[in-house]
Amino acid sequence: MKNPDNKPQPKQPELPQGFSTETLKTIAVIGLLVLAFTNWNAVIAVMVNAMILIYRIVGHNFGFAIILFTILIRVISWPLNAQQMKGATAMQEMQNDKEWQAIQKKYAKDREKLSQEQMRIYRERGINPFGSCLPTLIQFPILFALIPTITYAIGSTPLSLLRLSGYAYNFQNVASLLPLNSKFLWMDLGLPERTLLLGFSIPVLALIVGLTTYVQTKLTMPPAADPGANDQAAATSKMMGIYMPVMLFFFSLNYASGLAVYFITSNLLAIVQYAMMGRVNWRNLLPGGQKK
Amino acid sequence: MRKKILIVVVILLAAVLLSGCTGSTTWFGLSVSGDVAYLANNTAVHAIDVKTGSELWSFSGEASGGFLSFGKSPKLFVVSPIVTEDGLVIIPSSGNDHILYAVDPRDIPDPAKPAPAITWKFADAKGHWIAEPLIVGDHLFAPNADGKIYVLDLADGQSVKQAVKVIEPFKNIEGQPGRLWAKPVTDGKRLYVTSLDHSVFAIDLETYEIVWHEDLGGAIPGSAVLGSDGMLYVGSYAKQLERFDPATGKHGPVLDAKGWIWGTPVVDGDNLYFGDVVSGVGGYFYSYNTKTGKLNSEPVKLDSEITASPLVLPDHILVATESGKIYAVNAEGSTLWFEPTKGKAYTTPVAADGEVLVSYIDSDYYLIALDNDGHKKWTFPAGK
Repeated sequence: MKNPDNKPQPKQPELPQGFSTETLKTIAVIGLLVLAFTNWNAVIAVMVNAMILIYRIVGHNFGFAIILFTILIRVISWPLNAQQMKGATAMQEMQNDKEWQAIQKKYAKDREKLSQEQMRIYRERGINPFGSCLPTLIQFPILFALIPTITYAIGSTPLSLLRLSGYAYNFQNVASLLPLNSKFLWMDLGLPERTLLLGFSIPVLALIVGLTTYVQTKLTMPPAADPGANDQAAATSKMMGIYMPVMLFFFSLNYASGLAVYFITSNLLAIVQYAMMGRVNWRNLLPGGQKK
Repeated sequence: MRKKILIVVVILLAAVLLSGCTGSTTWFGLSVSGDVAYLANNTAVHAIDVKTGSELWSFSGEASGGFLSFGKSPKLFVVSPIVTEDGLVIIPSSGNDHILYAVDPRDIPDPAKPAPAITWKFADAKGHWIAEPLIVGDHLFAPNADGKIYVLDLADGQSVKQAVKVIEPFKNIEGQPGRLWAKPVTDGKRLYVTSLDHSVFAIDLETYEIVWHEDLGGAIPGSAVLGSDGMLYVGSYAKQLERFDPATGKHGPVLDAKGWIWGTPVVDGDNLYFGDVVSGVGGYFYSYNTKTGKLNSEPVKLDSEITASPLVLPDHILVATESGKIYAVNAEGSTLWFEPTKGKAYTTPVAADGEVLVSYIDSDYYLIALDNDGHKKWTFPAGK
C-alpha cells in the first residue's frame, strides 16, 4: 500500500530470530494455562456462577442447566475446536504425502535427522505440528474445572455446599436458592445413576456415556493413511477410540450423574460440530469401514 | 504406544487432582460415649480410647463387589455414630449404598483385625445419610436426604409397624422431597425436624402426623434446639435466629446474624451460643440470652467460617473454625486462648473425661485431644 503523504510509517515490531507466530501462539497458550492453574479458584468461581445463573434462567432445573452450560462451553470453544480439526486434518493429510513417507523410510534409523526433516516439511507447508493439540490444551482447565463445578453446585455433601457458598458471588443471593434441585428425569444428578432393569441395577447413563464417546471418537476419526505407512495420528486416534470410552464409562460409574449428562451432551455436540464442518466419517462405524 | 498411554494416564490423574478428588469428601463425624470416641473419617468409623488415643476397632462396612461392581459404590462414613442403651453402635453410611448399620462392639469376630459384627442393617433409604439419627425409647428416628424419616425398631432395624413406616414431609416448590441433614430433637411428645429445603416441622410421636410446618426462607443444615424458656430456636441460611412456639409453630426472628447459621445453637442455661459463615470474611460467634432477648456481648469475629456448634465447658466455650484454629471464648465474648493447628476444623468438638477432642480434615491427623488449656495430649493416628 502506498503512503500518499510520504510520512515515515511506524516500524512493525520484528520478532526475535527463531521466533515464529506459531511459537508466540504456543507461548500464549502456555501463559493462559499457567494463569488458569495459578488462579484455579477464580476459574471454578466463574463456572459455578455461570451454572447458577443458567439454573435460574431455565426455571430451577439442574439437568437443563448442565445441558445449556455444555452448549455454552461448546459455543465458546467452537473456534478452538475448529482449529483443532483443521490441524488434525492437515497432520493426517501429511501422513499420505509422498515426501513425508519417503523421509520416514529414509531416516528410519536416524531419529535426529528425521526430526529435522519433519520440521522442514512443516515449515514449507505452513503446518503447525501443535496446531491440533494447543486448542485442546486450552480446553483442559474448563474440563478439569467442570467436576468441582458440578459437584459444588449440586451440594450433596456438607463440604460441597459450604464450598458453593464460598464460590457464589454476592449478587447471586444463593441463600434463597439452595439447595439446587438435583432431580432430572429419573435421576438425582448428585448421585451416580443406577436403573433397576429386570432385577439388575444397571448404570444406564454410564453405558450411554461409553457408547456416545465411542461413536464420537469413531465418527471423527480421520481416514487412515496408506497401510504400512508410519501413521502415528491414526494409531493415536485408534488408541483414543478405545481408552476414552472406557475411561469415561468408569468415571461416570462412580461420579455424580450430572457429570454423565455433561459427557453425553458434549459428545453429541461434538458429532454435530464435526457434521456441520463436513468431517464426519460415517463409514468408520461399519466393521472394516476405516480401511481405504 | 507407551508414551501415549502415559499421556492419557497423566491427563486422567491431572483431572482427578485438580477436581479435588484426593481430599476428604466432606468433614468427619465425631461423638463420644463413656471412654470411647467414635470418629467417622470418610473411609471408616474408628473407635478410639479417649485416655490413650489408641484404636479399639474400626468398621468400614461390608466388602463390596469391587471396582467393577455395577450396583455397589464406595462407602462413605461422615455421620457421628450414636450408641444405644444396649451398647449397639449405629453407623449410617453416606455412600451410594445408603445403608444404616447397627454393630455390636462386644462381638469382634477376628481379633487380629478388630471390627465389630453387624447386628442388623437397614437398606431401604433412597438418599445419603447425612443426619445423625435420634433414639427415642426403643425406636430410632433416622432422617435421610431422600426427604423421609425412617422410624426403626432398635431391636432389629425393621421399620416400625408397617413395612414402609416412614414420615414423608412436605414437597418443596420444585416437587422434590426436602433433604434432611440434621438430627431431630424431641420434647417427649413431638419430634422437631429441620430441612435443607427451608422448613421446620413438628411431628407427633404417637401418630407420626405432621402437626405444623413452617418455611424459613433459607436452608437449615443444623438442628433446632429447645431453649430453657421452652421455645424452639433455629438458625438458617436466611441469616436469622428464629424462635418458634413448639405448640403452634408460630415464629419470628429474634436475632439478625451477619452470615449463614450452619451449626446447631447450643443451650447453656438461659444462653444460646452459635457461629456463622460469612463468605470471604470469616465467622462470628454469638452469645444470646433467651431471657432478655438480647446478645450478651457484641458478636466476636473469628478468623474463618464456623460450621461447628460451640462446645460448652465449665470455664469457657470452645469454637472450632475452618482455619483450624480452636478458640476458647467466655460468655461475655472475650477470647481466652486459641490453638492454631494445621488442617480444617468443621466438626463440632466433643468433651470426654477432662479432654476435648477436635476433628480435622486436610491435616496430618484426624483427631487431636487437648487439655483444658489447649495443650495437645495425643493425636489419632498417633505420632503425628
